[in-house]
Amino acid sequence: MEKFKEIIRQYPFVGFIIAFLVLMAVPSIFFTDIYQSHLASLICINIIVAAGLNIVKGYCGQVTVGHVGLYAVGSYTAGCMFMYLGSDLWLTLPAAIIVTAFFGVIMGVPSLRLEGPYLALATLGGAEAIRLFIENGEFFGSTYGISNISQPVIFGMAFDTPDKYYYIAMPIMLIAVYFSFSVLKSSVGRAFMAIREDQISAAASGINVKKYKLLAFILSAMFAGAAGAVYAHFPPGYIHPNNYTVIEMITFLAMVVLGGLGHIWGGIIGAVVITIVYDITRPLYQYQLFIFGLTIVFTILFMPKGIGGFIDKYFIDKRFKKKKTEDKK
Amino acid sequence: MILLKTTKLMKAFGGLIAINKIDIEVPRGEIRGIIGPNGSGKSTFFNLISGVYDPDLGSYIEFDGHDITNEPAHEIGALGLARTFQLLRLYQDMSVINNVMSGYHTRVSYSFTEAVLGRKKIWDKEKEIKDEMMELLSFVGLADFAEMNASELSGGQRRLLVLARAIASKPKLLMLDEPAAGLSPHNVDNLMKIIIQLKDKFGLTLIIIEHILKVVMDTCDAVTVFDHGQKIAEGTPAKVKDDNAVIEAYLGKKMNDDEMRKALAV
Repeated sequence: MEKFKEIIRQYPFVGFIIAFLVLMAVPSIFFTDIYQSHLASLICINIIVAAGLNIVKGYCGQVTVGHVGLYAVGSYTAGCMFMYLGSDLWLTLPAAIIVTAFFGVIMGVPSLRLEGPYLALATLGGAEAIRLFIENGEFFGSTYGISNISQPVIFGMAFDTPDKYYYIAMPIMLIAVYFSFSVLKSSVGRAFMAIREDQISAAASGINVKKYKLLAFILSAMFAGAAGAVYAHFPPGYIHPNNYTVIEMITFLAMVVLGGLGHIWGGIIGAVVITIVYDITRPLYQYQLFIFGLTIVFTILFMPKGIGGFIDKYFIDKRFKKKKTEDKK
Repeated sequence: MILLKTTKLMKAFGGLIAINKIDIEVPRGEIRGIIGPNGSGKSTFFNLISGVYDPDLGSYIEFDGHDITNEPAHEIGALGLARTFQLLRLYQDMSVINNVMSGYHTRVSYSFTEAVLGRKKIWDKEKEIKDEMMELLSFVGLADFAEMNASELSGGQRRLLVLARAIASKPKLLMLDEPAAGLSPHNVDNLMKIIIQLKDKFGLTLIIIEHILKVVMDTCDAVTVFDHGQKIAEGTPAKVKDDNAVIEAYLGKKMNDDEMRKALAV
């Protein structure tokens, strides 16, 4: 077991391959109906968004409420490319990532001057502007949305139902998580954290604050773009401006906050929990927003580091106690 | 060999001239003390050199042969100038080891793309960095607290941690803003030992702002005295201690008999 741990520590890639194999097997063992696959695919998409949001919000400390706008940009890049060029996921996914990265720069520029609630307002304005622009643009299908977006085909096998689409969304999610993991574990992640904690001090350590803030926005935008494209092609392949409102943004924020701001697995834990809770509370749809608002408030009040921080604390305490008993001997 | 040189350094905040035409030359390998009453411009001086503030027109700062007058703070940091802050500016919500490792930033040798791909090479390098930083932590005596959150440290440990973070970048010049403020006498002695080791072992040049005169007198090779934004004295600690202008700035002017009588008569 110790040796296994050491291998994973040296080659994190191995861990992800194992996770891939396990997740490949999960549907055929546990899932009983197609709806569970649908939910699992949705969780994968939300994980991509939340992992990206964790970079800019959890690690870099920039309060952005505009992430859903970037998600919309990703979706509509994919949607429009399908509508006008007939492209499939393999072409729209990279295109969506590049276009959204560009919008990420625009969304990030206010962060060079603004902080806290002011930045939140600026980015919220950005997100709403994007949504309204889409809603009122004939080119983007206006309020009709874009429908019948194609599903990817590999070797003649069409992934056109939610249970098949899971096998597309899941690997993309794992790749995204792997990138976020390796970025945040490196010096780049530390630079983000330093900026979150103290910008003047970070600059004195030789960290280019403006560059890294923009980098955080671009990176997280790329995640949002990828998630948007995967969502656009998600069967039945229908996107509508109403999927990208502030309400969605609050759900994404709830994921990151509940999972643990600035925790490397924070966004992922949160995305799994919130997506499932969102689904369970569907019959109580009038109260859903209320529940998520309360979740954010209570998490910040009683568990400021979220579920991830809670688990971390448990392990650190355990290690500490173990060390203490060893010292006594 | 002059490492840091300022010429006609000026900074005014509105009508208040915080730094008034200060010329300083700090040679390599020297420990320079800066003393002066509160509000005499010592911290502003640090902020001007490290790029937190931009100096006024006409000023000139040269560091290690580079003109850094209007360079941004991170460029100055990358050139090899590290500093600590009077109010610490610790990364509260990061572990102690991460605090120090983020000070290593300018020396990281892998590129961003390599980091994204997460190759084994990167993990090896990260481990090297971590080992080196652990050594640094044991040098200042914080190795046992590496995994703890920085906010859980005591006041004295925090001062040592910001010191370690500043050294992590292997600077040429280290500027310490009141490193001994709020330390107990025992810890002050410990700090003085560390400062002297920094000069002898690591070959650093240091500039220290300090109010505890014992630290300044025992560690510094030369002392500069500020008052109201002006340099009023400079020289060896012994010479500065007996300088009339310095005594005046700290204790006030000595009165003659007539003045004393007038003051008491009122």
